[in-house]
Amino acid sequence: MRRYALAGLLLGLFVLAWQGVASLNAVDDLTLASPVETMRALRDDWSLLMDNAGVTLVEVLLGLAISIAAGAGSAVAMHIWRPLREAAYPLLVASQAIPIVVLAPIFVLAFDYGMGPKLAIVALICFFPITVNVLDGLRSVEPELLKLMRSLGASRLQSLVKVELPSALPFFFSGLRIAATVSVIGAVFGEWAGADEGLGRLVLLGNNQLQTPRVYAGIVILTVMAVALFALAGLAERLVCPWNRKEAPSA
Amino acid sequence: MRTQAEAPEREPLSVDGTGVALTGVERGYRGRRREVVALSGLDLQVRAGDVVAVVGPSGCGKSTLLELAAGLQEPDEGAVVAMGTSDAAGRRTACAYMPQRDLLLPWRDSLGNAALALECQGVRNSEARRRAAPLFDRFGLADFEHARPADLSGGMRQRVAFMRALLPGRPVLLLDEPFGALDSITRASMQAWLAEALTEEPRTVLLVTHDVQEALFLSDRVAVLSPRPGRVVAELEVTLPRPRSRRAVVTDPEFGRLERLALEALGA
Amino acid sequence: MTRPLLAALALLAVLVTTGCGEKKEVLEPKGSKQLELLLDFFPNADHAGIYAAQADGYFKQAGLNVKIRQPADPSAPLKQVAAGRVDLAISYEPEVLRARDKGLRVVAVGALVNKPLTSIISLPRAHVRRPADLKGKTVGTAGIDYQTAYLRTILVDAGVDPRTVKQRNVGFNLNPALLTKKVDATLGGYWNYEGTELRLQGRKPRIIPVNRAGVPSYDELVLVAGEEALHRDQAKIRAFIGALSRGARALRRNPDKGIQGLLEANPDLDPKLQRAAVKVTLPLFFPPEGKPFGYQDPEAWERFTGWMRDSKLLVKTASAKDAFTNELLPGSGLSGRGQCCSAAAPGSRLRAIAGSRRTAVRTRSRPGPDPAPPS
Repeated sequence: MRRYALAGLLLGLFVLAWQGVASLNAVDDLTLASPVETMRALRDDWSLLMDNAGVTLVEVLLGLAISIAAGAGSAVAMHIWRPLREAAYPLLVASQAIPIVVLAPIFVLAFDYGMGPKLAIVALICFFPITVNVLDGLRSVEPELLKLMRSLGASRLQSLVKVELPSALPFFFSGLRIAATVSVIGAVFGEWAGADEGLGRLVLLGNNQLQTPRVYAGIVILTVMAVALFALAGLAERLVCPWNRKEAPSA
Repeated sequence: MRTQAEAPEREPLSVDGTGVALTGVERGYRGRRREVVALSGLDLQVRAGDVVAVVGPSGCGKSTLLELAAGLQEPDEGAVVAMGTSDAAGRRTACAYMPQRDLLLPWRDSLGNAALALECQGVRNSEARRRAAPLFDRFGLADFEHARPADLSGGMRQRVAFMRALLPGRPVLLLDEPFGALDSITRASMQAWLAEALTEEPRTVLLVTHDVQEALFLSDRVAVLSPRPGRVVAELEVTLPRPRSRRAVVTDPEFGRLERLALEALGA
Repeated sequence: MTRPLLAALALLAVLVTTGCGEKKEVLEPKGSKQLELLLDFFPNADHAGIYAAQADGYFKQAGLNVKIRQPADPSAPLKQVAAGRVDLAISYEPEVLRARDKGLRVVAVGALVNKPLTSIISLPRAHVRRPADLKGKTVGTAGIDYQTAYLRTILVDAGVDPRTVKQRNVGFNLNPALLTKKVDATLGGYWNYEGTELRLQGRKPRIIPVNRAGVPSYDELVLVAGEEALHRDQAKIRAFIGALSRGARALRRNPDKGIQGLLEANPDLDPKLQRAAVKVTLPLFFPPEGKPFGYQDPEAWERFTGWMRDSKLLVKTASAKDAFTNELLPGSGLSGRGQCCSAAAPGSRLRAIAGSRRTAVRTRSRPGPDPAPPS
């Protein structure tokens, strides 16, 4: 509880400073909207913002789902077959180096407008942290434990299912937390390349049309979305991996 | 009390097909900078039903010896036979191997951990747990079936690891310093418990320990290993009937003599 | 122990506050004034005159050290010039009017391209010969609100129900959307640029500029200055436009040579496309007969403003009067040639525009209706 109180205090100070700078007119209205104006835009444009936020949220969730399936699957495959890992890992890393800004329009042309390109971009951004973390988790199993499984007569599949995959779960959730926060960015980039709906599009158009308070309101909602996803991932971890609590052991 | 010189001739194991035998075993591995020979010219035989303790300085290859017996490694030269089979997979099936650390799976409760070995043999999870449950009482862990390893003390975790090893009912038990990580009080009670357990359910046991007193307390014979490359330099018969009382070990002069002999062999 | 820390904090505070401040003082090379120009978009054929003036040294001769910058995002030029961070920006007549409507203090000081370039572009297979043929088709736009308004006006004018036309936001990828058959036609491409690109590829595009389909004419590209700078930097801006006119005339005399300025400054451009685009755009760089270079037609501005108001793109603006000025064009306000707007003394309208906002530099109160300038 105290942790949240401190964070809340810091947030409050930030908002005050923001309002202060805006009131001082150090930066003009159309570049910096004050918290008050942002709140007003949130209220006035609420249904517009929420409708578009819903579209973006769907893109994010579906994209995350794809990246989880593909990421975990690839990690397991790369773990089991070493040649695959050696071949694919560098490509995996390289895939992250390509600027999304460049890929987004290409995806749009490849997949046609609509959900396709946005899902592809979200999946591409989120795939990497999940794959790398699951792979690390699978490889983190102590050799002693694998030796024990062998001595117990376990098959490769049994070792994988009973020991390696559960070991990798906490790592998976680490990756998921990262993926959750960047997924929103991916959806926004996807929308910027061509979309008829979505909060990213609304923010972009708002910026071009000098509707600055609406832009800020949109950004606030996108931020809240990312933070909420992050928290959900953390919650999921606590539910699925209750043994991983890093509490001080009772003597 | 008979010493080695007076020990009767043992039947060669290959004839009766039980117990464990290592003959002329050589085993090396690539170390950081050079070839390391862990064992060289090692001969050791364990009759069915016997408890043999292996003591030796650290790094002398004690763990390698156990892993060879367990079928987790193959000797570079020589032969390893367990329960009549020299094939590695066969050795794995015949031996229950208990590594130094309990290696309990943190996401499973005690019952699930104990049942692990049975599951690996193809027994269905629910059935395996059902079979594991009665042991908890005998091992003094009643009511801890659903506790996670993180909630158990070291000694309790070791007992769960024992259950795991014993449940499949394999004839040979290979123990690698099972009580090494425990404090002396827990260790003493665990040793007493093991002595009892082995009396109730006799197995062929090969026990590795660095504690000579523990070896004398639990085993029928103590084999002393030389420093690397390891080979057996002394074998001491311990003829006091098992289970033994702690007092006997501490006060009986024969034990003192054996301990001196063992320490001499170790120091040599 | 704490003193160095305090000193560091104080230094940090100073840096932060000066960083938040306005345009920094720039050391000017002896005899020449610094002028920062922010383009509207990536450098392209529409800017050929500017680069020609730069390359031929006309800016230097006018005593100007011109730095040409590209914007980080489409809304940057107007914001930057209003904030005084750059001296001049290039923008579009509709955006200048809209920005002023929102309270941004900017003024168009000269037309760079004095006719619309925005067009409806389609390929022959879509069979769009006239706006009426758009009925039931899919049109790709860049999502810009006033361009969507163009489309609406065009459709209504042609008697087509806008609801029968499907619009898709294709971002800035207008031609690719057309070529990959994702849309039947696009609105937002320029006939001199996207149109030329398609023509050079042999696609035989069908092009309908918006002002031939019912949208009132406007200046596609304009030079913009901040209201404050108008009076203070009068001479500088005038010198700039004068030099620019010389560069544009040199370009017209010899386009192949003149375009080198653009190409050399931006080696990533496709010379063939830029050359072809410049050639067709050249006439639009120059004013009607008898008018000064960069002339902005007041009647056309008023008509366009009226259209924007009717299309609900402007809320507060009643007239275009203060949105532009021809006072800084070469020859105006001096020898009497090309006096366009009011009979008042030269410079008076400038003062009127700059002075009509009685309130200081920047306030957060909403500006009232445009007060009538004294004349």
